[in-house]
Amino acid sequence: MFFLSEIEHTLRLPPHLLNQPLNDAIKGELGSLFLDKVIEKLGLCVSVYDIRSIKGGFVFPGDGASTYTVSFRLVMFRPFVGEVISARLKESTKDGLRLSLGFFDDIYVPVPLLASPNHSEPDPGLKDGVRWVWEYDGVNYPIDGTDEIRFRVHNVSYPPIPLDQRNDSDEKELEQKVSKPFAPMVVTGSIDSDGLGPISWWV
Amino acid sequence: MKILESSAGALTNFEVLDLLRSRGAGKDPTCVIASVSPSEFKVFDYLEQTAACNQTKEIVHKFVDECKKYDLAKAEILNVVNMRPSSAVEVYTIIEECDSRMEEKIDEFVETIAQILPPPPSQEQPGEENAESKEESKEETAN
Repeated sequence: MFFLSEIEHTLRLPPHLLNQPLNDAIKGELGSLFLDKVIEKLGLCVSVYDIRSIKGGFVFPGDGASTYTVSFRLVMFRPFVGEVISARLKESTKDGLRLSLGFFDDIYVPVPLLASPNHSEPDPGLKDGVRWVWEYDGVNYPIDGTDEIRFRVHNVSYPPIPLDQRNDSDEKELEQKVSKPFAPMVVTGSIDSDGLGPISWWV
Repeated sequence: MKILESSAGALTNFEVLDLLRSRGAGKDPTCVIASVSPSEFKVFDYLEQTAACNQTKEIVHKFVDECKKYDLAKAEILNVVNMRPSSAVEVYTIIEECDSRMEEKIDEFVETIAQILPPPPSQEQPGEENAESKEESKEETAN
């Protein structure tokens, strides 16, 4: 789930941090720059692991801040295909399930990857919600939000940043686009196998 | 920004939890003002609920040594340490081609897991209830 990635970056250290010890100031700057951000192909940055080397410290003309070339390691959240992760149900719609890990919410289980055979029934508790039920041996097993759901990672994709296309779209389409915020990293999971799905099914 | 090495090593959940704990994250509300940002805290919250919260370095090393005789891939050992399967069904999910590679050794493997890796907090409660009921039945038979 978590990997270390080594990155080199040219960092501008703002002058108001000059009174702090160098390592702490650079760690703080790196944190504010990379923490909770997605780097393509590397995943979601969770934490700064350590600083390997700091070079430079030059002040460029016209600038009050010093610039350092820092090489450091970050702890990245990058699930690999085939990994089994347990998460909580966030929402359940007609397109499938959406699961959440607390720090990462964009895990989708689309309908083809749900446990089959299954059927859906409208859930009165949720707005636009649909509850999915797995049929096995004549017994119905519903997927509700009570316990953790185990899923296997099927695919991890990094969709490109959408360009602003206000010229062509109508107002309705604009509203739909705005309601779903852009997700820079999307994990697609599957629960179509033995041992996957809510833990209560298998205990 | 230049990526020097995209994958410099895989970390188990326990290692990340250890890192966050050494920075000062903790479960009590007093530890909130530490050098741990809110997003790191969310990761810490998630990891505390998994099996990693009860593990130590010695336990993980011992388990990896035991796994050598089962010929498992590194990713599979990582998955097992993170997930801590408690039954054969869960082992089937994690390990590919389980039937052909493990055959009868599956039960032995589940036993090894149960002995070396401590259970996650969600699984401990039913275990305690069982222990209490066993003690009660022992007292009844003694009387």
